[in-house]
Amino acid sequence: MIKLENVKKVYTTGEISLTALKGISMEIKPGEFVSIMGPSGCGKSTLMNIMGCLDRMTSGKYTLNGRDISGLSDNELAEIRCREIGFVFQSFNLLPRMTVLENVELPMVYAGIPRKERRERALAALEKVDLGNRIRHRPNEISGGQKQRVAIARAIVNNPSIILADEPTGNLDTKVTKEIMKIIQKLNDDGTTVVLVTHEPDVAQYSKRIIHMLDGEIIDDKLVNDRKIF
Amino acid sequence: MNLVENIKMAIDSIMSNKMRSFLTMLGIIIGISSVISIVSLGVGGQNTITGEFEKIGVSTIRISVKTTEAETSDYITYKDIEQLKEKIDYIKYATPIKYQTGVASSEKKSKTAMVYGTNEDMIHIDNTEILYGRFFNRIEFEEGRAVAVIDETAARSFFGTSDAVGQTLNIGSSTSKKKATIVGVTKSQFEMFQNMADEEELPVVVYMPATFLDILYSKDSRISELYIMANSKENTEAAGILAKNMLMNRHGNRDRDVYKAENLMKQLDQINTVLGIFTAFIAAVAAISLLVGGVGVMNIMLVSVTERTREIGIRKAIGAKTSNIMFQFLTESVIISCIGGIIGLILGIAGAYLLGQLAGITPSVTPQIVIVSIAFSSAVGIFFGIYPARKAAKLDPIEALRYE
Repeated sequence: MIKLENVKKVYTTGEISLTALKGISMEIKPGEFVSIMGPSGCGKSTLMNIMGCLDRMTSGKYTLNGRDISGLSDNELAEIRCREIGFVFQSFNLLPRMTVLENVELPMVYAGIPRKERRERALAALEKVDLGNRIRHRPNEISGGQKQRVAIARAIVNNPSIILADEPTGNLDTKVTKEIMKIIQKLNDDGTTVVLVTHEPDVAQYSKRIIHMLDGEIIDDKLVNDRKIF
Repeated sequence: MNLVENIKMAIDSIMSNKMRSFLTMLGIIIGISSVISIVSLGVGGQNTITGEFEKIGVSTIRISVKTTEAETSDYITYKDIEQLKEKIDYIKYATPIKYQTGVASSEKKSKTAMVYGTNEDMIHIDNTEILYGRFFNRIEFEEGRAVAVIDETAARSFFGTSDAVGQTLNIGSSTSKKKATIVGVTKSQFEMFQNMADEEELPVVVYMPATFLDILYSKDSRISELYIMANSKENTEAAGILAKNMLMNRHGNRDRDVYKAENLMKQLDQINTVLGIFTAFIAAVAAISLLVGGVGVMNIMLVSVTERTREIGIRKAIGAKTSNIMFQFLTESVIISCIGGIIGLILGIAGAYLLGQLAGITPSVTPQIVIVSIAFSSAVGIFFGIYPARKAAKLDPIEALRYE
């Protein structure tokens, strides 16, 4: 599924260059649920962005679903983000002027799916995250937990093979965090591969495998023994 | 990603900031409306002038004697005119034109009169509509009878009624006058100016047999100006040349170039060319405001791109291609310009009719003007929208997502 070989990322600003990833190699298999942990600045978000085809690596090789990503054009990367990857962000990143339903429909607009099918699939996705009743509201009219559910519905609506979640519960309280993790775990149970970036050990315990990073390197990679399951 | 979706998004975005969108459109509205008013009034003015000229007739030629070079024997005679009409097949009508400024009065009123002495052919050449009675005839011309044809404006001011047939008018100079019977009333001669001036201030037009004018103003029968009308538009030029030739033969002055033949349509072309250049010039000045409006659109689109950086990042993260973002912003600027263009079009047409009413010109709003203005405002939208749209499309998704 995801295979990284000696992936490096160097940010260059003028004369100063900063190495964010110092050669990451790892593999994530279909159906896995991986948490990436580490302190701020350890490179976990950079790694996430590269896996999500949002950012380009400086060197190394990245194979996604058997396809070498390294040489692809911007438009080909957009196509992959559209169809194979679902993003969930800490700050939800919903479009404020659109309704909940329109937000969920948006990825399908870019995938070129006809209006009627979009409506049906968006409603189904919202049903999956238990949010079938607030579809006409705008993001500023719903709670944080509801916003994140909308974001998850948007991430899964194009049936991606991977969900990448960057601190999805960072802005949420304990109770809502549990609800969101329940949904994510359910998606994983249904066969979607999940990669989660978090710095909360509690949240990481819901996953099957935890990778620890420090200063752009993987320092620990182990399966979760006492996994929390709903 | 289809067009309908793009248009819907663009309209949502425009509506979410109504005041700003309207102010942005204002530049386009002012530009388009001023260009439209000016062009349609200019074309309308050309049409009015063309209409006035066509009344006189497209196949009319004015032959005049160059009075500064002419000797007494060079002047045209009534006999010449008869001969021209008789001998030259191309000539359908021919009339002398004698002009005198004089005074005309009824029992009620006395006014300055523009007195024209012609023959009976004048009504065909002038192509003026007779409202009451008739134009004077051949016999009246030959005998120099005291008859006159006046226009409606004159009839109303002299006799208080348009139908002045049979009434008597005193015509002449301020010192000596003769009675003339009105045999006909024509449509008003100064229709074009009627809206601009008080009817009472306009001079009256009086037609009479040239022979009677000679008696009235104690003139000799020399003629310095005549109008001929060819039997067709194509023969006009030839008729003029033949007439000039014949006059030179009859007066034996081939060695001196004393006759001038002018086609009235040529003058019309000249006037229209001048008017056309004038209109184009003012329209070009107005078009500059359209350019300024376009810069306004670009400015607001750039602000909008900056404000919506995060939105662009989100859209890219969930799969928008560069072209999707590009078209989204381009659609927005085109729609702003187009709506501005349509409002400008409506205001421009309304303004043209309003100004036209004041100036007595019927503006000419052609489908071309409508199509060109809409197309032009769209072009402004594309031209000034392309840079901001490219800027939006090229944003790096990571940086855009980080933008607060």
